[in-house]
Amino acid sequence: MGFLDALLGRTKPAEANLDKLFGLPGARITLEASEALTPTLQAGVCFKPATGQAFAATEQEIAGLLDLPADDGDSSAPADTATASGSGAKLSEGADEFGYRWIVVGAPDFDTLVTRVHFVNSTMKDNGYGPTLLCSVFGFHPATSPGAPATTYLVYLFKRGTFYPFVPTGRERRDNEGELRLKALLSEDLAIEPDLDRWFPLWNLPVR
Amino acid sequence: MATRSRFPVDRGLTARMLTTVFLLGLLYAVFVTVLVLLHVQLAFILVLAFGILFVQYFFSDKIALYSMGGKVVTREQEPHLHAVVDRLVAMANMPKPTVAVAQTDIPNAFATGRDQKHAVVCVTYGLLRRLDEPEVEAVLAHELSHVAHRDVAVMTIASFLGILAGLLTRVLAYAGLFGGFGGGNRNNNNNAGGQLVLIEMGMLVVSAVIYAISFILIRTLSRYRELAADRSGAILIGQPAILASALVKVSGEMSRIPTRDLRAAEHFNAFYFAPALAQGASLSSLFATHPPLQKRLDQLARLDAEMHRGAA
Repeated sequence: MGFLDALLGRTKPAEANLDKLFGLPGARITLEASEALTPTLQAGVCFKPATGQAFAATEQEIAGLLDLPADDGDSSAPADTATASGSGAKLSEGADEFGYRWIVVGAPDFDTLVTRVHFVNSTMKDNGYGPTLLCSVFGFHPATSPGAPATTYLVYLFKRGTFYPFVPTGRERRDNEGELRLKALLSEDLAIEPDLDRWFPLWNLPVR
Repeated sequence: MATRSRFPVDRGLTARMLTTVFLLGLLYAVFVTVLVLLHVQLAFILVLAFGILFVQYFFSDKIALYSMGGKVVTREQEPHLHAVVDRLVAMANMPKPTVAVAQTDIPNAFATGRDQKHAVVCVTYGLLRRLDEPEVEAVLAHELSHVAHRDVAVMTIASFLGILAGLLTRVLAYAGLFGGFGGGNRNNNNNAGGQLVLIEMGMLVVSAVIYAISFILIRTLSRYRELAADRSGAILIGQPAILASALVKVSGEMSRIPTRDLRAAEHFNAFYFAPALAQGASLSSLFATHPPLQKRLDQLARLDAEMHRGAA
Protein backbone atom coordinates (compact mmCIF):
# COMPACT_ATOMS: atom_id res chain seq x y z
CA MET A 1 0.00 0.00 0.00
CA GLY A 2 1.15 3.46 -0.78
CA PHE A 3 2.24 6.28 1.46
CA LEU A 4 -0.99 8.19 0.92
CA ASP A 5 -3.08 5.15 1.80
CA ALA A 6 -1.18 4.77 5.06
CA LEU A 7 -1.57 8.45 5.81
CA LEU A 8 -5.30 8.35 5.19
CA GLY A 9 -5.91 5.03 6.89
CA ARG A 10 -7.55 3.32 3.98
CA THR A 11 -6.89 -0.07 2.48
CA LYS A 12 -8.35 -1.37 -0.68
CA PRO A 13 -9.59 -4.91 -0.14
CA ALA A 14 -6.94 -7.23 -1.61
CA GLU A 15 -7.97 -8.47 -5.05
CA ALA A 16 -7.67 -12.13 -5.98
CA ASN A 17 -5.09 -13.30 -8.50
CA LEU A 18 -6.47 -16.18 -10.54
CA ASP A 19 -3.99 -16.70 -13.38
CA LYS A 20 -1.45 -18.79 -11.49
CA LEU A 21 -3.97 -21.63 -11.18
CA PHE A 22 -3.06 -22.83 -14.66
CA GLY A 23 0.36 -23.93 -13.45
CA LEU A 24 -1.40 -26.83 -11.76
CA PRO A 25 -1.52 -29.34 -14.66
CA GLY A 26 2.29 -29.14 -14.91
CA ALA A 27 2.64 -29.68 -11.17
CA ARG A 28 0.32 -32.66 -11.39
CA ILE A 29 2.67 -34.41 -13.84
CA THR A 30 5.65 -33.75 -11.56
CA LEU A 31 3.75 -35.08 -8.55
CA GLU A 32 2.77 -38.20 -10.41
CA ALA A 33 6.28 -38.89 -11.71
CA SER A 34 8.23 -38.17 -8.51
CA GLU A 35 5.84 -38.90 -5.66
CA ALA A 36 3.33 -41.28 -7.26
CA LEU A 37 0.52 -38.92 -6.25
CA THR A 38 -2.54 -38.48 -8.45
CA PRO A 39 -5.35 -35.96 -8.14
CA THR A 40 -8.47 -37.04 -6.26
CA LEU A 41 -10.31 -34.88 -8.81
CA GLN A 42 -11.85 -32.85 -6.06
CA ALA A 43 -11.15 -29.28 -5.16
CA GLY A 44 -12.57 -26.76 -2.75
CA VAL A 45 -12.95 -23.01 -3.00
CA CYS A 46 -13.00 -21.28 0.35
CA PHE A 47 -14.47 -17.82 0.84
CA LYS A 48 -15.81 -15.53 3.53
CA PRO A 49 -19.51 -14.95 2.94
CA ALA A 50 -20.28 -11.25 2.81
CA THR A 51 -23.47 -9.80 4.13
CA GLY A 52 -26.29 -8.89 1.77
CA GLN A 53 -28.53 -10.20 -0.94
CA ALA A 54 -26.05 -9.43 -3.72
CA PHE A 55 -23.61 -11.97 -2.32
CA ALA A 56 -26.26 -14.64 -1.87
CA ALA A 57 -27.27 -14.06 -5.49
CA THR A 58 -23.68 -14.57 -6.63
CA GLU A 59 -23.53 -17.83 -4.70
CA GLN A 60 -26.74 -18.98 -6.33
CA GLU A 61 -25.42 -17.97 -9.74
CA ILE A 62 -22.36 -20.16 -9.25
CA ALA A 63 -24.45 -23.03 -7.95
CA GLY A 64 -26.77 -22.71 -10.93
CA LEU A 65 -24.00 -22.53 -13.53
CA LEU A 66 -22.17 -25.50 -12.04
CA ASP A 67 -25.51 -27.26 -11.88
CA LEU A 68 -24.81 -28.26 -8.34
CA PRO A 69 -27.46 -29.18 -5.86
CA ALA A 70 -27.31 -27.02 -2.78
CA ASP A 71 -26.45 -29.36 0.03
CA ASP A 72 -29.16 -28.37 2.45
CA GLY A 73 -28.77 -28.90 6.14
CA ASP A 74 -25.63 -31.01 6.03
CA SER A 75 -22.95 -28.51 6.86
CA SER A 76 -19.58 -30.12 7.38
CA ALA A 77 -19.51 -33.72 6.25
CA PRO A 78 -18.44 -34.09 2.63
CA ALA A 79 -20.79 -36.09 0.45
CA ASP A 80 -18.71 -39.15 -0.36
CA THR A 81 -20.81 -40.52 -3.16
CA ALA A 82 -21.74 -38.24 -6.00
CA THR A 83 -18.85 -35.83 -5.77
CA ALA A 84 -15.89 -38.17 -6.10
CA SER A 85 -16.20 -38.95 -9.77
CA GLY A 86 -18.69 -37.15 -12.02
CA SER A 87 -19.26 -33.47 -12.39
CA GLY A 88 -20.84 -33.46 -8.97
CA ALA A 89 -20.08 -30.39 -6.95
CA LYS A 90 -21.69 -28.90 -3.95
CA LEU A 91 -22.06 -25.72 -2.04
CA SER A 92 -21.71 -26.24 1.65
CA GLU A 93 -24.57 -24.73 3.60
CA GLY A 94 -23.48 -22.96 6.70
CA ALA A 95 -19.94 -22.07 7.60
CA ASP A 96 -16.93 -24.02 8.81
CA GLU A 97 -15.62 -23.47 12.34
CA PHE A 98 -13.95 -20.21 11.29
CA GLY A 99 -16.98 -18.79 9.50
CA TYR A 100 -15.81 -19.55 5.95
CA ARG A 101 -17.81 -21.39 3.33
CA TRP A 102 -16.69 -23.97 0.81
CA ILE A 103 -17.72 -24.83 -2.71
CA VAL A 104 -16.52 -28.36 -3.38
CA VAL A 105 -16.02 -29.08 -7.06
CA GLY A 106 -15.46 -32.44 -8.75
CA ALA A 107 -14.56 -33.27 -12.37
CA PRO A 108 -13.84 -36.30 -14.58
CA ASP A 109 -10.30 -35.13 -15.27
CA PHE A 110 -7.82 -32.74 -13.77
CA ASP A 111 -7.79 -30.09 -16.51
CA THR A 112 -11.57 -29.80 -16.28
CA LEU A 113 -11.29 -29.52 -12.50
CA VAL A 114 -8.85 -26.63 -12.75
CA THR A 115 -11.08 -24.93 -15.33
CA ARG A 116 -14.12 -25.33 -13.10
CA VAL A 117 -12.35 -23.95 -10.06
CA HIS A 118 -11.17 -21.04 -12.15
CA PHE A 119 -14.74 -20.54 -13.28
CA VAL A 120 -16.02 -20.40 -9.70
CA ASN A 121 -13.31 -17.94 -8.79
CA SER A 122 -13.78 -15.69 -11.77
CA THR A 123 -17.54 -15.59 -11.24
CA MET A 124 -16.89 -14.39 -7.70
CA LYS A 125 -14.39 -11.86 -8.95
CA ASP A 126 -16.56 -10.57 -11.79
CA ASN A 127 -19.35 -9.95 -9.32
CA GLY A 128 -17.04 -7.86 -7.19
CA TYR A 129 -16.40 -10.46 -4.52
CA GLY A 130 -12.76 -11.22 -5.30
CA PRO A 131 -11.72 -9.88 -1.87
CA THR A 132 -13.84 -12.53 -0.13
CA LEU A 133 -11.83 -15.42 -1.61
CA LEU A 134 -9.44 -17.08 0.86
CA CYS A 135 -7.97 -20.11 -0.84
CA SER A 136 -8.55 -23.03 -3.19
CA VAL A 137 -7.54 -26.54 -2.22
CA PHE A 138 -6.75 -29.43 -4.57
CA GLY A 139 -6.60 -32.98 -3.24
CA PHE A 140 -4.01 -35.66 -4.18
CA HIS A 141 -3.69 -39.28 -3.08
CA PRO A 142 -1.30 -42.16 -3.73
CA ALA A 143 -1.72 -43.55 -7.27
CA THR A 144 -1.70 -47.07 -5.84
CA SER A 145 -4.94 -46.62 -3.92
CA PRO A 146 -7.56 -45.01 -6.15
CA GLY A 147 -10.70 -43.95 -4.33
CA ALA A 148 -8.82 -43.33 -1.10
CA PRO A 149 -9.21 -39.91 0.51
CA ALA A 150 -6.64 -37.27 -0.24
CA THR A 151 -3.38 -37.41 1.67
CA THR A 152 -1.75 -34.33 0.20
CA TYR A 153 -3.23 -30.96 -0.68
CA LEU A 154 -2.06 -28.08 -2.77
CA VAL A 155 -3.44 -24.85 -1.36
CA TYR A 156 -3.71 -21.79 -3.57
CA LEU A 157 -3.62 -18.41 -1.84
CA PHE A 158 -5.67 -16.05 -3.96
CA LYS A 159 -4.27 -12.79 -2.69
CA ARG A 160 -0.66 -13.87 -3.03
CA GLY A 161 -1.01 -15.87 -6.23
CA THR A 162 1.08 -18.62 -4.60
CA PHE A 163 0.69 -22.27 -3.65
CA TYR A 164 1.81 -24.28 -0.68
CA PRO A 165 1.61 -28.01 0.03
CA PHE A 166 -0.34 -29.21 3.03
CA VAL A 167 0.15 -32.79 4.26
CA PRO A 168 -1.95 -33.50 7.35
CA THR A 169 -0.94 -36.60 9.31
CA GLY A 170 -3.70 -37.18 11.79
CA ARG A 171 -5.24 -35.00 14.38
CA GLU A 172 -3.89 -31.45 14.00
CA ARG A 173 -0.48 -32.69 12.88
CA ARG A 174 1.24 -32.08 9.60
CA ASP A 175 4.26 -33.53 7.85
CA ASN A 176 6.51 -30.47 7.61
CA GLU A 177 9.38 -32.47 6.13
CA GLY A 178 7.17 -33.83 3.38
CA GLU A 179 5.80 -30.36 2.70
CA LEU A 180 9.26 -28.89 2.35
CA ARG A 181 10.24 -31.73 0.02
CA LEU A 182 7.20 -30.94 -2.13
CA LYS A 183 8.14 -27.28 -2.07
CA ALA A 184 11.54 -28.10 -3.56
CA LEU A 185 9.98 -30.51 -6.03
CA LEU A 186 7.26 -28.17 -7.28
CA SER A 187 9.14 -24.89 -7.27
CA GLU A 188 9.69 -25.06 -11.02
CA ASP A 189 6.05 -25.74 -11.88
CA LEU A 190 4.31 -23.47 -9.40
CA ALA A 191 4.85 -20.20 -7.59
CA ILE A 192 5.40 -21.61 -4.10
CA GLU A 193 4.69 -19.26 -1.20
CA PRO A 194 8.16 -18.26 0.09
CA ASP A 195 6.94 -17.02 3.49
CA LEU A 196 6.46 -20.19 5.56
CA ASP A 197 4.42 -18.19 8.09
CA ARG A 198 1.65 -18.13 5.54
CA TRP A 199 1.45 -21.90 5.18
CA PHE A 200 -1.45 -22.09 7.61
CA PRO A 201 -2.95 -25.48 8.38
CA LEU A 202 -6.44 -26.33 7.15
CA TRP A 203 -7.77 -29.08 9.40
CA ASN A 204 -10.99 -30.95 8.64
CA LEU A 205 -11.00 -30.08 4.95
CA PRO A 206 -14.26 -30.83 3.17
CA VAL A 207 -12.22 -31.86 0.11
CA ARG A 208 -11.48 -35.53 -0.27
CA MET B 1 -10.73 -6.72 -16.74
CA ALA B 2 -12.79 -4.06 -15.05
CA THR B 3 -14.53 -5.56 -12.09
CA ARG B 4 -16.95 -3.80 -9.83
CA SER B 5 -16.02 -3.41 -6.25
CA ARG B 6 -18.64 -4.31 -3.72
CA PHE B 7 -16.75 -2.57 -0.98
CA PRO B 8 -17.64 1.08 -0.85
CA VAL B 9 -15.08 3.80 -0.18
CA ASP B 10 -15.83 6.50 2.37
CA ARG B 11 -14.60 9.71 0.77
CA GLY B 12 -15.89 11.89 3.60
CA LEU B 13 -13.75 10.12 6.19
CA THR B 14 -10.72 10.37 3.91
CA ALA B 15 -11.29 14.09 3.43
CA ARG B 16 -11.66 14.74 7.16
CA MET B 17 -8.49 12.82 7.90
CA LEU B 18 -6.62 14.70 5.19
CA THR B 19 -7.77 18.02 6.67
CA THR B 20 -6.56 17.01 10.13
CA VAL B 21 -3.20 15.88 8.81
CA PHE B 22 -2.89 19.12 6.87
CA LEU B 23 -3.67 21.29 9.88
CA LEU B 24 -1.18 19.31 11.96
CA GLY B 25 1.51 19.82 9.34
CA LEU B 26 0.70 23.52 9.10
CA LEU B 27 0.93 23.85 12.86
CA TYR B 28 4.35 22.23 12.90
CA ALA B 29 5.61 24.42 10.10
CA VAL B 30 4.50 27.52 12.02
CA PHE B 31 6.07 26.21 15.22
CA VAL B 32 9.44 25.48 13.63
CA THR B 33 9.44 28.88 11.94
CA VAL B 34 8.77 30.59 15.27
CA LEU B 35 11.58 28.62 16.90
CA VAL B 36 14.00 29.60 14.17
CA LEU B 37 12.97 33.26 14.28
CA LEU B 38 13.49 33.36 18.04
CA HIS B 39 17.01 31.85 17.82
CA VAL B 40 16.27 29.33 20.52
CA GLN B 41 18.94 26.88 21.59
CA LEU B 42 17.22 23.91 20.04
CA ALA B 43 19.90 21.26 20.12
CA PHE B 44 19.13 19.90 23.57
CA ILE B 45 15.37 19.85 23.11
CA LEU B 46 15.63 18.34 19.65
CA VAL B 47 17.88 15.53 20.89
CA LEU B 48 15.46 14.81 23.72
CA ALA B 49 12.41 14.85 21.45
CA PHE B 50 14.11 12.68 18.84
CA GLY B 51 15.15 10.28 21.57
CA ILE B 52 11.55 9.87 22.69
CA LEU B 53 10.37 9.53 19.10
CA PHE B 54 13.03 6.90 18.42
CA VAL B 55 12.12 4.83 21.46
CA GLN B 56 8.40 5.09 20.70
CA TYR B 57 8.88 4.15 17.10
CA PHE B 58 11.29 1.26 17.41
CA PHE B 59 10.19 -0.24 20.70
CA SER B 60 6.47 0.43 20.57
CA ASP B 61 5.70 -3.28 20.26
CA LYS B 62 7.82 -4.28 23.25
CA ILE B 63 6.75 -1.35 25.42
CA ALA B 64 3.05 -1.94 24.83
CA LEU B 65 3.32 -5.70 25.33
CA TYR B 66 5.35 -5.30 28.50
CA SER B 67 3.13 -2.70 30.06
CA MET B 68 -0.03 -4.67 29.32
CA GLY B 69 1.41 -7.98 30.47
CA GLY B 70 0.90 -9.47 27.02
CA LYS B 71 2.57 -12.82 26.40
CA VAL B 72 3.43 -13.98 22.90
CA VAL B 73 1.61 -17.25 22.27
CA THR B 74 2.70 -19.97 19.84
CA ARG B 75 0.43 -21.84 17.51
CA GLU B 76 0.53 -24.81 19.88
CA GLN B 77 -0.65 -22.72 22.83
CA GLU B 78 -3.52 -20.96 21.05
CA PRO B 79 -4.24 -22.91 17.87
CA HIS B 80 -7.66 -21.40 17.30
CA LEU B 81 -6.55 -17.81 17.73
CA HIS B 82 -3.65 -18.41 15.34
CA ALA B 83 -5.94 -20.05 12.81
CA VAL B 84 -8.27 -17.04 12.82
CA VAL B 85 -5.35 -14.63 12.36
CA ASP B 86 -3.86 -16.86 9.63
CA ARG B 87 -7.03 -16.64 7.61
CA LEU B 88 -7.53 -12.93 8.12
CA VAL B 89 -4.02 -12.04 6.99
CA ALA B 90 -4.39 -14.36 4.00
CA MET B 91 -7.58 -12.52 3.07
CA ALA B 92 -6.02 -9.11 3.58
CA ASN B 93 -2.71 -10.10 1.96
CA MET B 94 -0.45 -8.92 4.74
CA PRO B 95 2.35 -10.64 6.69
CA LYS B 96 1.27 -12.41 9.84
CA PRO B 97 1.84 -10.37 12.98
CA THR B 98 3.04 -11.79 16.28
CA VAL B 99 0.05 -13.00 18.28
CA ALA B 100 -0.09 -12.30 21.99
CA VAL B 101 -2.56 -12.74 24.81
CA ALA B 102 -2.73 -10.57 27.93
CA GLN B 103 -3.68 -12.08 31.27
CA THR B 104 -6.25 -9.50 32.15
CA ASP B 105 -9.97 -9.65 32.51
CA ILE B 106 -10.60 -6.31 30.80
CA PRO B 107 -12.16 -7.31 27.47
CA ASN B 108 -9.97 -5.51 24.95
CA ALA B 109 -7.40 -5.92 22.24
CA PHE B 110 -4.62 -3.84 20.77
CA ALA B 111 -2.21 -3.75 17.88
CA THR B 112 1.20 -2.19 17.89
CA GLY B 113 4.52 -2.23 16.07
CA ARG B 114 6.03 0.25 13.62
CA ASP B 115 5.33 -1.71 10.43
CA GLN B 116 3.70 -4.88 9.21
CA LYS B 117 6.82 -6.97 9.81
CA HIS B 118 7.13 -5.91 13.45
CA ALA B 119 3.47 -5.88 14.28
CA VAL B 120 1.97 -7.47 17.37
CA VAL B 121 -1.72 -8.17 17.84
CA CYS B 122 -2.76 -8.77 21.41
CA VAL B 123 -6.11 -9.80 22.84
CA THR B 124 -7.00 -10.21 26.50
CA TYR B 125 -8.41 -13.33 28.08
CA GLY B 126 -11.35 -11.18 29.12
CA LEU B 127 -12.11 -10.63 25.44
CA LEU B 128 -11.73 -14.30 24.51
CA ARG B 129 -14.05 -15.29 27.33
CA ARG B 130 -16.82 -12.80 26.75
CA LEU B 131 -17.05 -12.64 22.97
CA ASP B 132 -18.08 -15.47 20.68
CA GLU B 133 -15.77 -16.57 17.89
CA PRO B 134 -17.05 -14.39 15.02
CA GLU B 135 -16.87 -11.37 17.31
CA VAL B 136 -13.28 -12.14 18.31
CA GLU B 137 -12.51 -12.42 14.61
CA ALA B 138 -14.11 -9.02 13.99
CA VAL B 139 -12.01 -7.44 16.75
CA LEU B 140 -8.87 -9.01 15.26
CA ALA B 141 -9.85 -7.66 11.82
CA HIS B 142 -10.13 -4.17 13.36
CA GLU B 143 -6.68 -4.52 14.95
CA LEU B 144 -5.13 -5.89 11.76
CA SER B 145 -6.51 -2.84 9.96
CA HIS B 146 -4.58 -0.64 12.40
CA VAL B 147 -1.47 -2.58 11.40
CA ALA B 148 -2.26 -2.29 7.68
CA HIS B 149 -2.87 1.45 8.05
CA ARG B 150 0.49 1.78 9.84
CA ASP B 151 -1.18 3.64 12.65
CA VAL B 152 1.75 3.35 15.07
CA ALA B 153 4.08 5.05 12.60
CA VAL B 154 1.55 7.71 11.62
CA MET B 155 0.53 8.56 15.17
CA THR B 156 4.10 8.51 16.52
CA ILE B 157 5.25 10.93 13.87
CA ALA B 158 2.11 13.02 14.25
CA SER B 159 2.71 13.37 17.96
CA PHE B 160 6.39 14.23 17.51
CA LEU B 161 6.09 18.00 17.55
CA GLY B 162 3.50 17.73 20.25
CA ILE B 163 6.16 16.08 22.38
CA LEU B 164 8.65 18.73 21.34
CA ALA B 165 6.30 21.57 22.27
CA GLY B 166 5.40 19.89 25.52
CA LEU B 167 9.07 19.50 26.45
CA LEU B 168 9.84 23.06 25.55
CA THR B 169 6.97 24.30 27.69
CA ARG B 170 8.21 22.32 30.63
CA VAL B 171 11.87 23.24 30.24
CA LEU B 172 11.05 26.93 29.96
CA ALA B 173 8.61 26.83 32.84
CA TYR B 174 11.20 25.18 35.10
CA ALA B 175 13.87 27.60 33.97
CA GLY B 176 11.50 30.46 34.80
CA LEU B 177 10.57 29.02 38.19
CA PHE B 178 13.95 28.01 39.52
CA GLY B 179 16.49 30.06 37.64
CA GLY B 180 14.38 33.10 37.03
CA PHE B 181 13.71 34.36 33.56
CA GLY B 182 16.65 35.75 31.67
CA GLY B 183 19.06 33.06 32.71
CA GLY B 184 19.05 33.92 36.41
CA ASN B 185 20.21 37.45 35.86
CA ARG B 186 17.71 39.66 37.65
CA ASN B 187 19.44 42.88 36.82
CA ASN B 188 16.51 44.83 35.40
CA ASN B 189 18.72 47.60 34.10
CA ASN B 190 20.30 45.16 31.67
CA ASN B 191 18.57 45.70 28.36
CA ALA B 192 19.67 42.42 26.80
CA GLY B 193 18.46 40.52 29.84
CA GLY B 194 15.04 42.13 29.62
CA GLN B 195 14.80 41.16 25.99
CA LEU B 196 15.70 37.59 26.86
CA VAL B 197 12.95 37.48 29.44
CA LEU B 198 10.43 38.59 26.83
CA ILE B 199 11.65 36.01 24.35
CA GLU B 200 11.47 33.22 26.90
CA MET B 201 8.03 34.26 28.07
CA GLY B 202 6.90 34.40 24.46
CA MET B 203 8.33 30.97 23.79
CA LEU B 204 6.53 29.56 26.80
CA VAL B 205 3.21 30.90 25.60
CA VAL B 206 3.75 29.81 22.01
CA SER B 207 4.83 26.32 23.08
CA ALA B 208 1.89 25.90 25.37
CA VAL B 209 -0.55 27.00 22.69
CA ILE B 210 1.09 24.76 20.07
CA TYR B 211 0.99 21.86 22.48
CA ALA B 212 -2.70 22.37 23.19
CA ILE B 213 -3.68 22.63 19.54
CA SER B 214 -1.54 19.69 18.43
CA PHE B 215 -3.02 17.64 21.28
CA ILE B 216 -6.55 18.26 20.02
CA LEU B 217 -5.55 17.60 16.41
CA ILE B 218 -3.79 14.35 17.30
CA ARG B 219 -6.80 13.14 19.26
CA THR B 220 -9.01 14.06 16.30
CA LEU B 221 -6.74 12.12 13.97
CA SER B 222 -6.83 9.18 16.36
CA ARG B 223 -10.64 9.14 16.27
CA TYR B 224 -10.69 9.21 12.50
CA ARG B 225 -8.23 6.36 12.38
CA GLU B 226 -10.43 4.31 14.70
CA LEU B 227 -13.32 4.83 12.31
CA ALA B 228 -11.08 3.89 9.38
CA ALA B 229 -9.99 0.70 11.17
CA ASP B 230 -13.61 -0.16 11.99
CA ARG B 231 -14.49 0.26 8.36
CA SER B 232 -11.61 -1.78 6.91
CA GLY B 233 -12.07 -4.45 9.55
CA ALA B 234 -15.77 -4.78 8.82
CA ILE B 235 -15.11 -4.99 5.09
CA LEU B 236 -12.44 -7.63 5.67
CA ILE B 237 -14.84 -9.96 7.45
CA GLY B 238 -17.70 -8.91 5.16
CA GLN B 239 -20.09 -8.51 8.08
CA PRO B 240 -20.22 -5.05 9.68
CA ALA B 241 -22.95 -6.24 12.05
CA ILE B 242 -20.60 -8.64 13.84
CA LEU B 243 -18.07 -5.90 14.53
CA ALA B 244 -20.91 -3.71 15.83
CA SER B 245 -22.06 -6.41 18.23
CA ALA B 246 -18.49 -6.92 19.45
CA LEU B 247 -18.23 -3.17 20.06
CA VAL B 248 -21.45 -3.09 22.03
CA LYS B 249 -20.38 -6.06 24.15
CA VAL B 250 -16.92 -4.70 24.89
CA SER B 251 -18.14 -1.17 25.61
CA GLY B 252 -20.87 -2.47 27.88
CA GLU B 253 -18.40 -4.58 29.80
CA MET B 254 -15.84 -1.81 29.98
CA SER B 255 -17.97 0.51 32.08
CA ARG B 256 -18.64 -2.25 34.59
CA ILE B 257 -14.96 -2.86 35.30
CA PRO B 258 -13.45 -1.21 38.38
CA THR B 259 -11.67 2.00 37.45
CA ARG B 260 -8.34 1.23 39.08
CA ASP B 261 -7.31 -1.30 36.44
CA LEU B 262 -8.55 1.02 33.77
CA ARG B 263 -6.46 3.93 34.84
CA ALA B 264 -3.38 1.77 34.66
CA ALA B 265 -4.21 1.03 31.06
CA GLU B 266 -5.07 4.59 30.14
CA HIS B 267 -1.77 5.56 28.55
CA PHE B 268 -2.00 2.94 25.89
CA ASN B 269 -5.40 3.77 24.56
CA ALA B 270 -4.33 4.79 21.11
CA PHE B 271 -4.64 1.47 19.34
CA TYR B 272 -7.09 -0.27 21.56
CA PHE B 273 -10.28 -1.75 20.24
CA ALA B 274 -12.26 0.31 22.72
CA PRO B 275 -10.87 2.97 25.05
CA ALA B 276 -10.19 1.74 28.56
CA LEU B 277 -11.66 4.89 30.02
CA ALA B 278 -15.43 4.78 29.96
CA GLN B 279 -16.96 7.72 28.16
CA GLY B 280 -17.95 9.89 31.08
CA ALA B 281 -19.31 13.40 31.19
CA SER B 282 -15.93 14.63 32.45
CA LEU B 283 -14.16 13.57 29.28
CA SER B 284 -14.80 16.03 26.53
CA SER B 285 -15.32 14.35 23.19
CA LEU B 286 -12.68 16.71 21.83
CA PHE B 287 -9.97 14.93 23.81
CA ALA B 288 -11.15 11.37 23.31
CA THR B 289 -8.88 8.95 21.46
CA HIS B 290 -11.87 6.93 20.29
CA PRO B 291 -15.07 8.15 18.69
CA PRO B 292 -18.25 7.72 20.71
CA LEU B 293 -19.74 4.25 20.50
CA GLN B 294 -22.86 5.54 18.76
CA LYS B 295 -20.81 7.12 16.00
CA ARG B 296 -18.94 3.88 15.38
CA LEU B 297 -22.16 1.89 15.36
CA ASP B 298 -23.78 4.37 12.96
CA GLN B 299 -20.89 4.03 10.55
CA LEU B 300 -21.09 0.24 10.65
CA ALA B 301 -24.85 0.34 10.15
CA ARG B 302 -24.41 2.55 7.08
CA LEU B 303 -21.75 0.20 5.72
CA ASP B 304 -24.01 -2.77 6.32
CA ALA B 305 -26.84 -1.06 4.47
CA GLU B 306 -24.57 -0.22 1.54
CA MET B 307 -23.39 -3.81 1.32
CA HIS B 308 -26.96 -5.06 1.44
CA ARG B 309 -27.84 -2.86 -1.46
CA GLY B 310 -24.79 -4.33 -3.23
CA ALA B 311 -23.09 -0.98 -3.68
CA ALA B 312 -21.13 -0.81 -6.89
